[in-house]
This record gives sequence, C-alpha cells and structure tokens, in this order.
Amino acid sequence: MGILLQIVLAFMRVSAIAFGGAYATIPLVEHEAVVVQHWMTYAEFADLIALDEITPGPILINSATFVGMRVAGIPGAIAATLGVIIVPCALVMVLLALYRHFKDSPVMDGAMVSLKCMAVALIASTFMRLGANALLPEGALPDLGTTVFSVAVMCAAFWLINRKKIAPLPVMLSCGAANLIAHLLFL
Amino acid sequence: MAQGAQDRGERLKRLLPLFLATLTISATANSGYAILAVMKDDFVNRRKWFTEDEMADYIAIIQSAPGAMAVNISMIVGYQSAGFLGSLAAVAGCILPPLVVMTAVTFFYEAIVSNQLVFLFMRGMQLGVVGMLLDIIIGLFTNITKGRGIAYPLALMALAFLYVQLTDWSILYLAVACAAAGIIRALAIARGEEG
Repeated sequence: MGILLQIVLAFMRVSAIAFGGAYATIPLVEHEAVVVQHWMTYAEFADLIALDEITPGPILINSATFVGMRVAGIPGAIAATLGVIIVPCALVMVLLALYRHFKDSPVMDGAMVSLKCMAVALIASTFMRLGANALLPEGALPDLGTTVFSVAVMCAAFWLINRKKIAPLPVMLSCGAANLIAHLLFL
Repeated sequence: MAQGAQDRGERLKRLLPLFLATLTISATANSGYAILAVMKDDFVNRRKWFTEDEMADYIAIIQSAPGAMAVNISMIVGYQSAGFLGSLAAVAGCILPPLVVMTAVTFFYEAIVSNQLVFLFMRGMQLGVVGMLLDIIIGLFTNITKGRGIAYPLALMALAFLYVQLTDWSILYLAVACAAAGIIRALAIARGEEG
C-alpha cells in the first residue's frame, strides 16, 4: 500500500506543474522517476519516450502507466494514472467556474507565457541529455561509422517531421527499422 | 419537476456516447493537439452538443491548466454535457486506451528488451526522438515569441535552463518563480501603459 500511495503522490506532483503541452510533461516525469525516486535508469527512461510515440493516447498517461507498471505492476499503473489526472481535473473545474473573470486577462496570459518558457527550457534539457545518451551509449563514443549513422538518423527524423510534416509515429518506426537493418548489415 | 426528470434522463442517455466518443478519440489519436481537433469536430460539427464558441472557450481553459490536454478537455466536455457523471464517463474513456495498451506494451517490453534486435530497434527510435524534440522546441519557441518580442522569453528560458542544469532542486519552485515573473511583468506593463 505504501508504494502505491507514493506513486499517486509522485504523479500528483508531476501533473500539478505540467504546463505547456504533451512534450513538456516528459522532463517532469524524467525528473520524478529517475532523479527523485530512482525508479528507473536513464536508459529505461529513453526507451519510455520512444514507446510514448508508438502508443495511442496522451503522452502523460502513457508515461505514468509505464512508470507505475514498472514499479508496482498493474496496481502501480492504475495508481500512477489516477495520480496524474486528479490535480488537473480538479483545477479544470475551478477554471471553468472562474473563466469569465480571467478571460483575456493579461496577468493570466503573462503567467502562462512564462510557464511555456520554462517548458521550452525543460524540453531543451531533455533533448541534450537524450542526444548524449543516444550518441554515447556507454558514456563514450562508439566507432566512427555508428556515430555518423546515428547523427544521420537524427537529422533525417528532424527533416521528415519539421520540413515534410510527416507524423511522428511512422518516422519513429522507420528510424527503428533503419537502425536495426544498418547494424545487422554493415555497422 | 417533469422538466428536471426529463433533463436527468437526457443526461444519462449521454453517458455511453460520451464514454465511447473519448475512448475512440484517445485510442486513435496520439498527441494532445490531434485529440483536440478530433474532439472539436465530433462534439461541435457532428453531435452539435456545443457551439464553436463554447468549444473555443473550453480549449482556452485547458490551455491554462496543467496535465494531459485530452483528459482535461474530456473533463469539461463531459461535465458540460452530462454533469459530474458525464465527466467521469468522458475521462474514463480517455484514459482507458493508453492505460490498457501501455500496460501490455510495458509487459512485453520487460520480456523482450534484452533481445539484441529489439534493443537495436529501440535505439533507432531514440535517435528519431532526438530529432523530433528539436522540432518541438523550435515550434514552441516560435509560438511563444510570435508578436511578443524575443528578449524576455529568451532570458527566462536561459535562466530556467541553467536552473535545471546546475541544480537538482524541485521543478515546482521553478514553476512558481516563472509564473510570478510573468505576473509581475504583466502588472508592470499594465502600470506603464496607465502612467
């Protein structure tokens, strides 16, 4: 019971400050699960982000389910999911009641823009750590061919999503397949 | 009285459609914005339970709230169509697909992650995620700085970035500080315009 309560509280903390959209929740889950609670390694967390992209539904619910499941099985998954929705759902009801008062309020807008700035900084920090983790798997550069290929896959994914406006799901699956085939054939 | 009973019957009749609607949307779309778009189309254009303006207000509200946007919009749409039970039905529909699918995925992940082929596939996806995050950062940055000037957002982002790089303090403090900075700045601008 203790661990389930701990999971609920951890995800209540995460969700209470998860402003700025789906991807802004990733660094917060990372901080709670890897740094604060030591529930998983950074490599496992990197796997989680990839799995988020190929499963349906909101990323925050996916992340919570994965972490909860790894810590305490199915009860853990349910506890994490409940933890992550309680605070936002309650806040949404308060905001719904007060909406007329803060609609078009510059103060509210100022707070939200600043929280979005924080979200960008958090995602940038995850981007760097994840990039380092992907390029230096064991904390050191692998052989030149692998490094060049890895950078090429990153750039290709960016180009396909940013320029070609292709959805993340097919891009992620293609990256996985490309890496698998390249390593089996020539790397 | 009869009117009240009729309303209640009408509301109860909406619970199952609500549950099925959010279930379907959550099972088929996987990002917050995609879910919002599908939900708007479903409830405004197809079911006509809300007007375009009402839905725009609901979306504005959830953008001021933390957490998963899809869950939050389900909460409001459910409540406005069928009261508290409606919000329960809609939120349940929204969280069930990711909960079930991710539980199964995690189960298999634990069983097969040590396999070399799976490992290589996961590594490839991680490379893709790095590229995708760069796109997300650029998109958010452009969105924030559009029409607002670049100096204040950039300074705040730099400070927040240093905070998470250099300390392992709770991000809650950072969130409170950022919100406070935004509020103080908005008040200062308002005062400047008055004076």
